[in-house]
Amino acid sequence: MTGWHVDDETLRHYVERTDSVAEGASVERHLLNCAQCRARVNTAATAVDLAVVDLAAVWDGTRDAVEVPRPSVFERLLRALGLPAHEAQLVAVASAFRGVWLVGVAAVLAFAAGAAVIGHARGLWFFLAVAPLAPCLVVAFSYDRRWDPALEPETVTPYPTLRLILLRTVAVLAVALPAVLLLGLVVPGAAPFAWLLPAVGFVALVLAASTWASPLNAAIAVSAAWLMTVWLLAARAASPSAVLQPWTQVAFLVLAAASFGTFLVRRRHVRQLRPWR
Amino acid sequence: MEGPPSDETLLVGVAERDMGAFRALYERHAGWLALRLARRCNDRDLVADAVQDTFVAVWQKPRGFRGDGDIAAWLWGIAIRRLVSRLRQRTDVAVVFESTGIMPAVEDQVLLSVEYGDIGAALVRLSPEMRAVIQAVVLDGLSAKEAAQLLHVPVNTVKTRLYRAKAQLRTTLAEGLA
Repeated sequence: MTGWHVDDETLRHYVERTDSVAEGASVERHLLNCAQCRARVNTAATAVDLAVVDLAAVWDGTRDAVEVPRPSVFERLLRALGLPAHEAQLVAVASAFRGVWLVGVAAVLAFAAGAAVIGHARGLWFFLAVAPLAPCLVVAFSYDRRWDPALEPETVTPYPTLRLILLRTVAVLAVALPAVLLLGLVVPGAAPFAWLLPAVGFVALVLAASTWASPLNAAIAVSAAWLMTVWLLAARAASPSAVLQPWTQVAFLVLAAASFGTFLVRRRHVRQLRPWR
Repeated sequence: MEGPPSDETLLVGVAERDMGAFRALYERHAGWLALRLARRCNDRDLVADAVQDTFVAVWQKPRGFRGDGDIAAWLWGIAIRRLVSRLRQRTDVAVVFESTGIMPAVEDQVLLSVEYGDIGAALVRLSPEMRAVIQAVVLDGLSAKEAAQLLHVPVNTVKTRLYRAKAQLRTTLAEGLA
């Protein structure tokens, strides 16, 4: 500090930009180190008739920019994978990705897997009953407006519905499948992977059925039918491995293909189901 | 302690997501930053964008200030680079260096008196292109690459003009002494 400060005349020239080459340079040099003169310039520069920009408007823009929440980790991951920003947002807001819901699904699956490890035959039945249903229920819930407030603006927005549905389904499966698969690894035998095709088949079936009814009702119907089948098989004391036979797997593959075909053929009807009640 | 909080205190507040401190920091610095940026770019919208970018960057990385030197100098460093980055996206905007020149870091009084001395006269005799380069590199502390982006000229041109400008200054000053 030299105790020296820019005099009023020089300061006025600087603010009005009527100063000379060397004058401006020395003022700027001084300003970086002198809070007092900086405050004077700042006050002068903020005066309405001299302001170079509308500082109040710039503040509004700045505040808006910093108050926009940063995209979630998942959304940033989707963007990194090449999805356009608005689509990444649409996919990421699906309620299926909200913490509580994921934790619930994980807990049920963990319980099923635990049962399969402890009590062998009956536990394995339990796992086979629950695991294939998890993905289709997650998908169905991600389309139910009671669970997903974001759905309403989405379906009103002019946007290819089919693309949105497929994007969301793929995203949901991408989250649900690895989680279930990981838990399946602790289950003995071939079961860890046997439920994959049934799971895919059920998801396709729910999508196909959603051209007639709401996805949630479709998922409930599919779940009920599957649980009934499992219960009947178990009651007849059949071995759980019956579900794991190659021909049953082929049957589920056919189911998945047929359902998806139906869904594509009837995709226009998804639109009229917009309220999905 | 009474009186307004220091810039350092405000920056700590910003790091703790205190919108009030952020606002105070903005009001203390946005004016002079905008004014100084406007002396380098005649597009008011671009200046406004650069000021906004600067404070958004401060909000996102308040710990980018490492405690060396004045916070004002740190802010200016961000602001001029934000302006360069904005200018890079726009090629239709002319850059102006209005009536400002170059000064080495000496006592402020000496700097001001230079106005009536040899260096001031020498600066005025430089061509506007050379003065712009001198200002961007020496006064604003930009790298040759950043100066090239600011002035929309190739890096080599910046280097050449800088070399010539220095040589010309040296000659003019030597003539004055003789």
